[in-house]
Amino acid sequence: MSESDTTGASEPRSPHVTLSRRRVLQLGLAAVPAICGARLAAGVLATSDDAVRAAEPAAAVEPAAADATYDPSAHDWAFVMDTTTCIGCGRCVEACKLENHVPADPELNRTWVELHVLAKDWTVTVSSPAGGEGGVPAQATVPAVPEAAVRNAYFVPRTCMQCENPPCTWVCPVSATYRTPDGVVLVDEKRCIGCGYCVVACPYGARYMVPAGETTPKGVAGVVDKCTFCYHRITRGMLPACAEVCPVNARIFGDRNDPNSAVSIAIDQKRVRAMKPALGTRPRVFYTGLEGEVD
Amino acid sequence: MSVRLADRELPTDPREIARAMRRRVEATPRPLRIWYTVLLVLCAVGAVGAVLCLPPGWEVLGTRPTFEWGILISAYVFFAITTSGLCLASSLGTVFGIEMFIPLEKRHAILALLCLVTAFGVIALDLQYPVRMVLGAVLSPSPLSPMWWMGVFYGAYLVFLIVEVTSMFTGRWQIHRVACVLSSITAIIAPTTLGAVFGVLSSRPYWHGAFTPPAMMAAALLSGVALLGIVFACVHRFRLAGFERVGALAIPAIRLLLTIILAVTVLVVGWDTAWGLYGDVPGLSDATAAILVGPLALPFWIVRVFLGLVVPLVLLALPRTRTPAGLFAASCLVFVGVFADRAIFVSAGQVAPATAVAGVLPAPFATYVPSLVEISVVVGALAFLALVYTIAELHLPMGEHQGHLAGAFLGSGTPVTAAGVAAGTAAGPATSPAAGAEEPAAGGRSAPLADIGGGVL
Repeated sequence: MSESDTTGASEPRSPHVTLSRRRVLQLGLAAVPAICGARLAAGVLATSDDAVRAAEPAAAVEPAAADATYDPSAHDWAFVMDTTTCIGCGRCVEACKLENHVPADPELNRTWVELHVLAKDWTVTVSSPAGGEGGVPAQATVPAVPEAAVRNAYFVPRTCMQCENPPCTWVCPVSATYRTPDGVVLVDEKRCIGCGYCVVACPYGARYMVPAGETTPKGVAGVVDKCTFCYHRITRGMLPACAEVCPVNARIFGDRNDPNSAVSIAIDQKRVRAMKPALGTRPRVFYTGLEGEVD
Repeated sequence: MSVRLADRELPTDPREIARAMRRRVEATPRPLRIWYTVLLVLCAVGAVGAVLCLPPGWEVLGTRPTFEWGILISAYVFFAITTSGLCLASSLGTVFGIEMFIPLEKRHAILALLCLVTAFGVIALDLQYPVRMVLGAVLSPSPLSPMWWMGVFYGAYLVFLIVEVTSMFTGRWQIHRVACVLSSITAIIAPTTLGAVFGVLSSRPYWHGAFTPPAMMAAALLSGVALLGIVFACVHRFRLAGFERVGALAIPAIRLLLTIILAVTVLVVGWDTAWGLYGDVPGLSDATAAILVGPLALPFWIVRVFLGLVVPLVLLALPRTRTPAGLFAASCLVFVGVFADRAIFVSAGQVAPATAVAGVLPAPFATYVPSLVEISVVVGALAFLALVYTIAELHLPMGEHQGHLAGAFLGSGTPVTAAGVAAGTAAGPATSPAAGAEEPAAGGRSAPLADIGGGVL
């Protein structure tokens, strides 16, 4: 039956665009490659965005970097956290808070120390009282596991992993968080909108929103904050604050481009591993002495 | 002294305005006055909360790094998916020409626009720097970010909806029909992109996966149809514009849709839960435990499952409750259930983090208690939606235009005929569509409307 048969001749029809089902399907099919193309272009754009930032001088990507001779492309910063030597004193946490204007709130940390207790059944119990600030208390050494059941226990310093493939940078809707050519993930606080997407996207829990009454080291409130490897220090030839105060050299920091640096030697000579390797984030913070499933 | 607006003389003198307002209020039926008063009070509460949320106002939120996204995000998700669901439901009539869905057109479009504006308002209050977001999305776009795409699609959707609504009330049918198709397409893409905002996060096993965007779409359809059910049951009950067509076509159509989508949602919720019970995936099995027996169990079992799924299905299935009142009750419950569902969804992704967050290891679960300010914003947003829609319902000509009745944009073109409408009102003598004529109920209002709200406006 034709369309006119069903509509009836007496019904007036409003003027409209003739758009058949076939036409809509064609448009829909055409939209699929268009969207795929846009996604591919997005990758290209993101890459070019990184390239643009790579071409910027250090002062442009991190105003606190005062050393004008610093060349970001000449460095490849990394950490090795030695869990076999860390004593859980928490001085690194305190130094970080002092250096980077981190809120005094024990629930907000750029870096913290965890106690991992590996039981004989290979289960791992993790705790981090007050983020380890002031030292992990003695009574916390075996919080939930009977002493007889403990196979091993050690302290694990934690911080931003400065991933080479960081989820936080690609989820940011306004490109406020980015990687520098020397491998540090930073936040452009003047662009950050405070949506918290990067906070929930980080698999390592390395970010937090600056709470009420607090600001970032640059005096910005209501934005995200995270470890920068003390970018303002390392670009001046200094160590990150946490590494500098560590009494047992459990935080080994350095330039992987320098084969004689402590971090290069540690990576070459010790059995190091990254956390959550299955996620493909390629962290630049490596660990020695981790046992069991401790990610 | 007065100004003329939309063929009405409006006073400009404050005393005249006060007198005119008083006359209006006195002429308003008592139930409607109470309804307006309640909504205005709730809007005022929401406005206070909104002012407190304005930067620098993040201290009024109850969120923590371990629980970064709170009830405002849940509310945003809820309103954002509802607007899409409304459009999808009505597109069955406006785009595909299915006769029984054609009467949804005008009301859906206004509701969708209001829901979207409400969603944008809520998310703006949750963001610390909403203006930066707009500027940043344009000046420093991040095409890899699902959130950026979500903004693009919902922004486009807003434009299409505005065009759809304005063209609908100004009789520009050619533009209107294109806007209908575009908004319907965007209404599919936008909620799935919103689902992708959560689904791409491998750090959150409960959210992560390709299942999340279609589940978001199912929730969108459910909440959109439920809202239509609430509105159309009210239209029928209060004999508002086009209520005969609503009774004959819209209510059965909504009942059918709601039943189907509820059945689909039962499967979605069931498999979603079963998925989390398999294996011992950190972050996923813990989140499922939180939903089934943990801190989210009460809202899940009572609100989500029992009130939001079981009772509505019973109401829709039993012959005794297969009435407009039954549909109203079922729709209200479903609407609340979807809100609980989205709040549970947003919470479950954070309640059992697979790692310490900023040095905090929540045990056994991360906790979040929404602040009074956050709750007031959500309540105010709902009241705003209800208030503005009530005004629109009573103010605007809601009767279906012959351009809609001709239907059949992509479909068969079958118009609604007298046989299709028991009361026969909608199929009455048609005038020229170009003249912007409404159905015979003058100005889109039926006579009984005067009893309810005609005197107000």
